[in-house]
Amino acid sequence: MSCHESSKLVPDYFDEALSLQQRKAMEAHLQDCADCQEALAEAKSINGQLRQWRDEPVPQWQRVPKQLQGSGGSARPRFSFWGQWAPLAGAFVMAVAVLFNVQIQVQDNGFSIAFGGAAGIDAGVIAAQLEEFENEQRAAQQQTLQVLSAQLEERQAGNNARLLETVIEQFGDSTTRSLEQVMAYFESQRQQDLQLLQTSYQRLADSDVQTIRSMQQLANYVQYQGN
Amino acid sequence: MSFTDQDEALISAALDGSARAWERLVKRYETRVYNFSLRLTGNQTDALDLMQEVFLGVYRNLHRFRGDAQFSTWLFRIAHNKAVDMSRRKYMVTSLSSVAGQEQSDDDVLDHIANDNGAHDPQRVLSTTQSNAEIIGCLDILNWEQRLVVELKVFQSHTFDEIAEMQDISANTAKTRFYTALKLLKAHMEQSHELS
Repeated sequence: MSCHESSKLVPDYFDEALSLQQRKAMEAHLQDCADCQEALAEAKSINGQLRQWRDEPVPQWQRVPKQLQGSGGSARPRFSFWGQWAPLAGAFVMAVAVLFNVQIQVQDNGFSIAFGGAAGIDAGVIAAQLEEFENEQRAAQQQTLQVLSAQLEERQAGNNARLLETVIEQFGDSTTRSLEQVMAYFESQRQQDLQLLQTSYQRLADSDVQTIRSMQQLANYVQYQGN
Repeated sequence: MSFTDQDEALISAALDGSARAWERLVKRYETRVYNFSLRLTGNQTDALDLMQEVFLGVYRNLHRFRGDAQFSTWLFRIAHNKAVDMSRRKYMVTSLSSVAGQEQSDDDVLDHIANDNGAHDPQRVLSTTQSNAEIIGCLDILNWEQRLVVELKVFQSHTFDEIAEMQDISANTAKTRFYTALKLLKAHMEQSHELS
């Protein structure tokens, strides 16, 4: 077998994709070439022997994968493409945030992101905000006090006027009876004033508590950002 | 209902979670895949391992099967890839167990893999018929690449263009491997006849 065409001709013979023209050329060469005829005959023989293979029976094995065993299994992916990648993307973002020490601050005019260390906090701005807040609270307290004082003075003035009128009207009937009525009237007025004062002080106290809470929240916020 | 239509119906049911449909689908192809695996690995244990890997790969990728090609074609592409993966794993095991510092060429390694499958051990081919055992003995002299080409050409009846695409080689390389394999097989068979 010395024909150099054999190495090409033999595989070509087994190539179903060979064109009609190529096959005719191959057959023409085969008619005149004993080497290639012999090579092809041997190849056919080997091919025939290999094809003597008889399929072996499949041994017992687990055909159904664990994922499909039982009810409810499905070979369809449980999540869509993005659903499959979302956890990985989330983990990546978290990893970047940890690695680069990313800090996000929410501010009045939006938010800022800082990398690699504590975000810069403008202490002067915070102190100014605190002072402004304190002044606002003080002003509110002063205003409330003034309103309450004005109400109290107005009430006292009205009461005094009514007291004088009542005393003058009742004085002629019976001195003893009039004195008892005057005393009872004074007592009722005193009780009303006392209640008014208590209510006013309670409102003042509530306002102070609110102020303290606001100050505490602000202080906590500043401390959190500082950390 | 045609064979392909039956495949599609079973695939659809399997995708919806029907274990019975999947089992029926497997049963239609397991004999072909098992014998493909047996010819390549030369022994029942590795053949079963390879077959399981193939069907697991098919199951995991079943939702990607679009029906552009026949299911059997798609399945045997996966089988081919799994066989190559297995040969690489064997190569790694062989390399790790070889003498440290001893360099081997690819051909040496593939020859080693081909000769390392124990096909000559009668205990490992007990399940095969006499003719099948002889065929396994013949294929055993080929390296992995040559054996794959013979498998795809002789037993799976692929064209050389298809083999080239599957193995990421040229059609001429596939033909050369096939021709070389036939020459080696001829020499081996002649030698066997002389001895007997």
